[in-house]
Amino acid sequence: MSLGSGSRSGGGRSTSVVGQLSRLGFGDATRAARLLADPALAPFVDGAPASFYEALGYAADPDLAVLQILRLAETVGGQDAATLRRLIHADDGESRRGQDRLIAVLGASVALGDEIISNPERIQILADLLPGIGVPEADVRAELLHAVGADPEADVPVASLGGDDGADAMRRAYRARLLRIGASDVTASDPLACLPAVAAALADLASAALEAALAVARADVEGHEAVRIAVLGMGKTGGRELNYVSDVDVIYVVEPADGFDEDRALTVGTHLATHLAHACAGTTSEPPLWPVDAALRPEGKQGPLVRTLASHVAYYERWAKTWEFQALLKARPVAGDRALGTAYRDAVEPFIWHAVTRENFVEDCQAMRRRVENNVPAAEAERQIKLGKGGLRDVEFTVQLLQLVHGRADVFIRSRQTLTALADLSAGGYVGREHARRLAECYSFLRAAEHRIQMSRMQRTHLMPTRVEDQRALARSLGMRSGGAEALMERWRATRREVRALHEEIYYRPLLPAMAELSDDEMRLAPEAVKARFAAIGYRDPAGAMRHVTALTDGLSRRASIQRQLLPVMLGWFATGADPDAGLLAFRTLSEELGATPWYLKLLRDSGTAAERLALLLANSRYAAEAFTRTPEAVRWLADDAELQPRGAERLSNETDAILRRAEDPDRAITLVRAVRRRELGRTAAGELLGVLDPVAAARAISDAADPAIAGALRVSEHLAKVERGYDPTHDGPARMLVVAMGRLGGQEMGYGSDADVLFVYEPTDGTDDPAAQKYATSVATSLQKFLSSMSPEPALPVDADLRPEGRNGPLARSLASYGEYYGRWSSSWESQALLRARIVAGDLDDLGRRFVDLIDPLRYPGGGVPASTVREIRRIKARVEAERLPRGVEPARHLKLGRGGVSDVEWTVQLLQLQHAHDVPAMQTTGTIEALRAATDAGLVERDDAEILADAWHLASRLRSAVVLLTGRTGGRNADLLPHDRQSLTGLARIIDLDGSGADLEELYLRTTRRARAVVERMFYGDED
Amino acid sequence: MDRQQEFVLRTVEERDIRFIRLWFTDVLGVLKSVAVAPAELESAFTEGIGFDGSSIQGYTRVVESDMIAKPDPTTFQILPWRGETHGTARMFCDILTPDGEHSLADTRNVLKRTLARASDMGFTFYTHPEVEFYLFESLRTDGPPVPVDQAGYFDHVARGNAHDFRRAAITMLESMGISVEFSHHEAGPGQNEIDLRYADALTTADNLMTFRSVVKEVALEQGVFASFMPKPLSDQPGSGMHSHLSLFEGDRNAFHEPGAQYELSKTARQFMAGLLHHAAEITAVTNQYVNSYKRLWGGQEAPSFVCWGHNNRSALARVPMYKPGKGVSSRIEFRAVDSAANPYLAYAVLLAAGLAGIENEYELPEPTEDVVWDLTASERKALGIKPLPQSLAEAIDIMESSELVAETLGEHVFDYFLKNKKQEWAEYRAQVTQFELKRFLPVL
Repeated sequence: MSLGSGSRSGGGRSTSVVGQLSRLGFGDATRAARLLADPALAPFVDGAPASFYEALGYAADPDLAVLQILRLAETVGGQDAATLRRLIHADDGESRRGQDRLIAVLGASVALGDEIISNPERIQILADLLPGIGVPEADVRAELLHAVGADPEADVPVASLGGDDGADAMRRAYRARLLRIGASDVTASDPLACLPAVAAALADLASAALEAALAVARADVEGHEAVRIAVLGMGKTGGRELNYVSDVDVIYVVEPADGFDEDRALTVGTHLATHLAHACAGTTSEPPLWPVDAALRPEGKQGPLVRTLASHVAYYERWAKTWEFQALLKARPVAGDRALGTAYRDAVEPFIWHAVTRENFVEDCQAMRRRVENNVPAAEAERQIKLGKGGLRDVEFTVQLLQLVHGRADVFIRSRQTLTALADLSAGGYVGREHARRLAECYSFLRAAEHRIQMSRMQRTHLMPTRVEDQRALARSLGMRSGGAEALMERWRATRREVRALHEEIYYRPLLPAMAELSDDEMRLAPEAVKARFAAIGYRDPAGAMRHVTALTDGLSRRASIQRQLLPVMLGWFATGADPDAGLLAFRTLSEELGATPWYLKLLRDSGTAAERLALLLANSRYAAEAFTRTPEAVRWLADDAELQPRGAERLSNETDAILRRAEDPDRAITLVRAVRRRELGRTAAGELLGVLDPVAAARAISDAADPAIAGALRVSEHLAKVERGYDPTHDGPARMLVVAMGRLGGQEMGYGSDADVLFVYEPTDGTDDPAAQKYATSVATSLQKFLSSMSPEPALPVDADLRPEGRNGPLARSLASYGEYYGRWSSSWESQALLRARIVAGDLDDLGRRFVDLIDPLRYPGGGVPASTVREIRRIKARVEAERLPRGVEPARHLKLGRGGVSDVEWTVQLLQLQHAHDVPAMQTTGTIEALRAATDAGLVERDDAEILADAWHLASRLRSAVVLLTGRTGGRNADLLPHDRQSLTGLARIIDLDGSGADLEELYLRTTRRARAVVERMFYGDED
Repeated sequence: MDRQQEFVLRTVEERDIRFIRLWFTDVLGVLKSVAVAPAELESAFTEGIGFDGSSIQGYTRVVESDMIAKPDPTTFQILPWRGETHGTARMFCDILTPDGEHSLADTRNVLKRTLARASDMGFTFYTHPEVEFYLFESLRTDGPPVPVDQAGYFDHVARGNAHDFRRAAITMLESMGISVEFSHHEAGPGQNEIDLRYADALTTADNLMTFRSVVKEVALEQGVFASFMPKPLSDQPGSGMHSHLSLFEGDRNAFHEPGAQYELSKTARQFMAGLLHHAAEITAVTNQYVNSYKRLWGGQEAPSFVCWGHNNRSALARVPMYKPGKGVSSRIEFRAVDSAANPYLAYAVLLAAGLAGIENEYELPEPTEDVVWDLTASERKALGIKPLPQSLAEAIDIMESSELVAETLGEHVFDYFLKNKKQEWAEYRAQVTQFELKRFLPVL
């Protein structure tokens, strides 16, 4: 077959040429036929064998290859033209291999092709068949040093070409060799298998370039003899696994040469480093190679460019952070003084392998991991090969973490190269053979794809192409010829998924005890290594963790086998919580309780989120752990956000209604009513902890769960009291009842541990005398209190009526008339203040409730505000409360409720404003603290800044009160309202309130916020105007 | 066990050290010491030494009295005054909670934290203190102490106690690796000044703690008594600790800009603006005792007013004479600090004030050429020159509303410091002084 003359003949022939080209793999065969028929090409392709066209069709992008051949033909001349013609007409094995190289390069890389076209003599590099990979490092170094006229044998090679001429010579030599590497790469039979060799060749070339650039710098810098300088390759250069286009990361270390002082050495060293960077990346007539990035040096970009060895060591001893040691893992002398480079490497080595014992290793690692995962712009997330979950960084992180954890005790796994390290880890028994093989394959695939994408235009990109044509070319260049773009994208997505899964598998799976009946490949990690791994991710008691894991996975039951699937990843999730050990223990308890329930393990295994959420709850909150053991069905909610939303007052009230309607036994009915509240508390806790519910909504939900419980208990109590007195339970008894919510319940701002403050109001029904009604009402109130607070498996809601007139000395329930009389004659300022929070909640709301509100409104929202004497009185009471109510020995600043700038400081301030102004500002007539504060601010009564400070303190203190309960699971006790001292609890609280920081940060934040709030309180409440 | 720790262990063995004193500082800057035997040293490095923090000023609350002192091996030093053969050595400690976190009360860590902030901005903070102190014949508190000589500024006193004293003290300091820049007789009788060579602020603060011990120790050996009290003699100059401050970016002095006025860079001007802006807020820290204010308002060269000048010996901040082209030595001298300050806290607040100036790009006011003391009150007002606090009470009051100081010290130290100082003020105010008795008793 010869296509060359086709287009000159009739249309039919031409069509058949197009058809042939199309079959050979050209995308736009018509255009290809036209290009091939170009007269400029004729001298080269006339009479070319069919194998030439087949070779074109075999290129990654045949259309590109044909265009580049034509462009090359237009410029090439002399001996190079002869070579081109020989390659096109290849008739022996050697020239056929040259043809392969030419066409593969032109079809894979626009940039390399353009380079050949502008430097046609480089076609000889393709024709001479010398290999680009597997070349000794020393040869490459010598080649580039020769290019700048330096002697590779010299101890200190100095270029004879200085300045821009030297840089240009070095860059030309670099590009010639880069073409050689590219040619070997694109003609390799298995692009994945040759990846390590290609990456190593690229790193060697970069090292040689740095060496030549240094030789040029020496030629330019006067007195370079004063300094010994070594260039350490970092990152992929140091790991000898560079890609085509990348910043080259370095660190410089200098020492004075014999007879020179240190200051001089530092000055000259800095000059050399600056000149070196210029030779590689500065503007000269040849395009720059790549930026030389020294940002990994001590103090980063702020630090001096060069340091002495001692200065490096001093820095690493004192200041360095964990990630810097992780970076040092890759450090390798690549240019300059070898002895000095090696000395540096030896000096920093111990730091790397002790990093795991550093105080903050666990936190730092988690932070580094988050950086790996989160630093991806959203627009690129779906195209990133390097960053993001399942990207190259993820593989590298997995390998490096294992090296840091186990490399301390095992010197055989300290390789800088990712794939070698992975193989070493596998050989050492830290990673299963199969897992290691699969991870290596994923890594090679991602790297090979990255290489091809970068090579195409020699651009630093890590993004999958979006055009189908580009994807197709990429697929072909990776040897995936039949599947094309679709197969490539599918494999890429599958690889990312696999990397994710493999990280969990590789790190966590070996934490499970090995079982004899599992396949031979299943590796067995030594117990010491298991402990190191548990400890490195934050388990305080690795031995205990091992016991729990064994208990959960022991045996051959279906349960144990599902646990074996679940646990590796859950162990990782527990580790991100405040108390991994407690989380694992709670999970064991829950699983032992629920193991037999058919849906439990299945849900955890199959739901996308339930298992992760459960792990988070159990590891962060004892309250949630207990709630979930008490309410096992709660695990189901975790799979569904809608289930984590509060049920709302109305639905709960209907549910309570339904329970009471069908109930026969009062005790049983109350138990059910209380169970509803328990369930809702669990739901709210889960919602709040998982961030589905904000803290204000959570406080509201807790109050909403209390309301129906009180209403239900009132109904049962009334029912029993009527029956006891011979009344028809479906009609009025001796009195109608009303329960008024006070305090936090009234304000709908309850916490998990709040009591229910109430007032009981009654009104005798027609024909009942007051003593009988009073007796009835008292018995109803007493029974209500008993029902809600009695010992029971369901959580108690202590009902507290101490805010009633005359306090504990007064009657438990009063008639509306008696309230009226009392408030008319005796009422004190604190009672008016307490009534600001009064909200009718259960009983005869429509009539009695409305009349009660009418009775108290003039008291709590007095026209004209309150007299100065009352203001003084309230201030005095508050001052006394501060002095007396705080438990002994408690630091005022740390009491969340009564302490400096805490909840009660803010509430009293707001309440005083309400007493003074709510009559005139109706929006302030609310039981909610923050609502009232906002209304007061809108009315201009409070400065916006002050209001913000008060609201911040109130929110933070309230959240912390809830968080203490969630963390400890204790709803009362001496420490329930205290900011704890110990760091572990503080850290736990910080996580619960979702503070991006440590426990110490939380402590500072709380003390600072409340200190500021107190200053506002002293000004606004105590009238302490400066 | 890292190399430094191994080095310490080896030295302890080779030099036959019998005791190692673990040093740390309470919130007020008083040196505390726990002695451990060499056998305990290894565990001190790995686990630290537990102690009851509740008995240390400002360290902790009763509830968490267990604290851990963890020696910093880079500060290991043999103490020369305990005899050559069976020596004693010391190391400074970081104070940790039982969880291994830095204690909030550890003032050394307050400075470290502030230095880390500077480091995040690319700066290293260097200081160079000029420490003044008095030598008295003996410790007596029932009347004015008696100075060892009657000499004056730079006087050479032949065979004077002070001369021997300074020589002995300097020899001892140098043998402990603390370089001394300069030493001379100061203006007051028995008053001496020793300048430490500039070093990073943490090293300087450690050195100052050592320095005070050395001076006290040498004085004892020579049968005299040394005091760093800010104003021991009412009619003689007080003892200040003028501190020269500079920021470095790597090896480059960030305060230096060739060709600028006084060769002072923008960074330096903003830093100084920060010092002046916050000077009143930080005075309670740099001048922490009731007695400090008697020096601060004692006339003569005392820096009572917030202003700066080039070579103006009455200004609060001074830009010393510069040698053109000697970029490394560009610096700002802050003159309020006295010799009794806790150096960790004092340098932390000075640095924080300066950094605030840089971060918020404060404008530096015009320099003051005049001797500020000679101006009338109205003149000072017209020039916008404000006074520093006149008493500890006023200083506390101003500090209490300072976000800068709260943030720098951390809420715990801030709170403790204020409480302690309020207490000191209350006790001081309760005194009926000689002055009152002499003036009022006869006539009232």
